Amino acid sequence: MVKKINQNEFKALDKSGVSVLDFNATWCGPCKMLAPVLEEVSEDFAGKANFYSVDTDENPDLAREYGIMNIPAIVVIKDGEKVDMNVGFVPKEVLSDFVSKNI
Amino acid sequence: MERFDIAVIGTGPAGLEAAITAKVRNKSVLLLGNKGSSDKVSKAHTIQNYLGLPNIPGDEMAKAFLNHAADMGVEITEDKVNAVYSMGNYFAIQCHDGDYEASSVIVAAGMSAMKPFPGEIENLGRGVSYCATCDAALYKGKTAIIVAYSAEDEEEAEFLAERADKVYYLPQYDYVGSLGGNIEVTTGVKPEAIEYKDDQAILTTDGDTYSADGIFILRQQIAPSQLVPGLKMDGNHVEVDRSMATNIKGLFACGDITGLPYQYIKAAGEGNVAALSAVSYLADLKKSDN
Repeated sequence: MVKKINQNEFKALDKSGVSVLDFNATWCGPCKMLAPVLEEVSEDFAGKANFYSVDTDENPDLAREYGIMNIPAIVVIKDGEKVDMNVGFVPKEVLSDFVSKNI
Repeated sequence: MERFDIAVIGTGPAGLEAAITAKVRNKSVLLLGNKGSSDKVSKAHTIQNYLGLPNIPGDEMAKAFLNHAADMGVEITEDKVNAVYSMGNYFAIQCHDGDYEASSVIVAAGMSAMKPFPGEIENLGRGVSYCATCDAALYKGKTAIIVAYSAEDEEEAEFLAERADKVYYLPQYDYVGSLGGNIEVTTGVKPEAIEYKDDQAILTTDGDTYSADGIFILRQQIAPSQLVPGLKMDGNHVEVDRSMATNIKGLFACGDITGLPYQYIKAAGEGNVAALSAVSYLADLKKSDN
């Protein structure tokens, strides 16, 4: 499951283990397309990583903190540290590989 | 939303043949492209080596192709495709005038003679975009440059100008339009390179240098890897196997886009193969659903 969070909730989060953040916006077509793909991927990785969705319009500080220039951007965080990022829409297989190589 | 069995992108010989074959195999077909077939066909002087149509002028060949398609009940939806997204067991096709869904997709969009400007691909998504209507909301209170290749783009400029503070419009065609207001039109200027510095996109041309928050390049065609995110290329062409399958499951390519030789009959032949491959893919998809 991909959980929608805001920057304050994110700050308070226990960041141990692997977290996958989806930076998006309501007006962004590719973001809308990527959301259901990420949802599927998150089911496959249930228990191995936590998945979050971040609206960049509502949470500009968090987007800035992670250096988001383009969306959709998928950021992998390991124990609080950003380890990898993928920008743009990608098919499920590619997204799965991206998450799995960072776990 | 209606989900078509097969969406075909492009109305040259590859796309038309793919659509006709899909129709023969009783599939629901969405054919997207120009209603007048491809310019590469209709503007050709004479074609000598197309089987059954000896020494035919290009415009007559286009007519013969389109009549054949129409006789088979193939309709052309005239819309510009912005992107094709592989969603797993179907594809979402984002067009200028709306969105569509299909279980499989055949890309027969031809080869663009246009090369990207230096700095264009590098700055794609941060300053450079191909769809003004898609990103317009981002440009509230901002400035934008539009490099336009067709009179149809004037509508897009007007849409963007409703949100943006200022739009620089650089038509690369014979402009006879009447854009005004906060749209500044400059004709006869050739773009040369794009840079992105200090959150500003900078376009150098053979005339002035333009600077704005973003640049929109509204070509008639976009690069296949931009059209289909995740698509594997082989140089300038889409990588396919003998069944015209690409690296994306359910997505096939045919015609000039797959490589040389750029011949009408080769394109039509590949269109036939791609459609049959799509048909067998659909059969497998149905099996795995049950």
